[in-house]
Amino acid sequence: MQKQGQFSITLVCVILGIMLAVQFRTTQDIRSSVQYQRAEDLTQRLMQVEKERSLLENQVRDLRQISTNDAVTKDLENTKMGAGVVPLQGAGVIVTVDDTKPAAPAGSKNPNLYLIKDEDILKILNELRAGGAEAIAINNQRLIASSEVRTAGSFLSVNNMNLATPYEIKAIGDPVTLENALKIRGGVMETLQFWGIQVIVKQSATVELPAFKGTFRFQYAKPVQDGGK
Amino acid sequence: MVFPILGLMVGLLIGTFLPVSMPIEYAKYLSVALLASLDSVFGGLRAGSEGKFDNLVFMTGFFTNALLAAGLVYIGERIGIDLYYVALLTFGLRVFQNLAIIRHYFLKR
Repeated sequence: MQKQGQFSITLVCVILGIMLAVQFRTTQDIRSSVQYQRAEDLTQRLMQVEKERSLLENQVRDLRQISTNDAVTKDLENTKMGAGVVPLQGAGVIVTVDDTKPAAPAGSKNPNLYLIKDEDILKILNELRAGGAEAIAINNQRLIASSEVRTAGSFLSVNNMNLATPYEIKAIGDPVTLENALKIRGGVMETLQFWGIQVIVKQSATVELPAFKGTFRFQYAKPVQDGGK
Repeated sequence: MVFPILGLMVGLLIGTFLPVSMPIEYAKYLSVALLASLDSVFGGLRAGSEGKFDNLVFMTGFFTNALLAAGLVYIGERIGIDLYYVALLTFGLRVFQNLAIIRHYFLKR
């Protein structure tokens, strides 16, 4: 081995040693570096979170299925029934109201008093509602929140439809309670009968009410934006 | 055979106490360059043991091998091929080859 070769190999070995040491330290730096550790940490956390997520997703799906079968449908059904857009049936009363016959007693000063007015019908409706009626219809016009009951000439305007006598008021509720509510002493029936208006209350096991046939139009009303709950 | 090992020791000491730190991104290049240098050193030892050592060839080989290896890895990273492993494999094989020849030489003597 030449001396020259020895020298250059030694020189190169020094450089090699430096490189080795630096590389060694760098590798150690990487191992203990925040980035490396963080990456490992985050990878584990990500896996854990993903597992958790899929678990929760399953839970959400299950709950949604349950709720669609149960709470939401029930809620929707109740809302529809309350809004009056579905036909209903159930036990209740049928109240038939007709004008005085014969019309007005001869010589009465105000024959209008002997005709049925919206006030009379409203009194009956009010009494029925107080008695716990769940749904009411007059001459197959379902009463909803925006329904009016108003005298229009010799007719009665309900849901913008003109109804003529005799008026048949159907109400679903406890039949006995509803009848008693109307027939209470000094109540609405007595008052009406005083004027000769014929009021007949009939309990029925199955009263069928039609759905509200109109459309809902909201020009001014808007849902409250912020949460609303 | 004493001087190279002594030189390695000195280099290690210098490197340990040198306040030089490689950025982590370049660790890959350095490792390949390191292997290339190692290969060159063993090649030089082999040549020396065979009696056909050429100083110029050895020195140029040492630096070009190291630079080429690092450059290869860089290009590989750019074009999406892991040439890193190719360099590792090649130089690793050659280190073992050289080592074997040196061993044979010493055993025969």
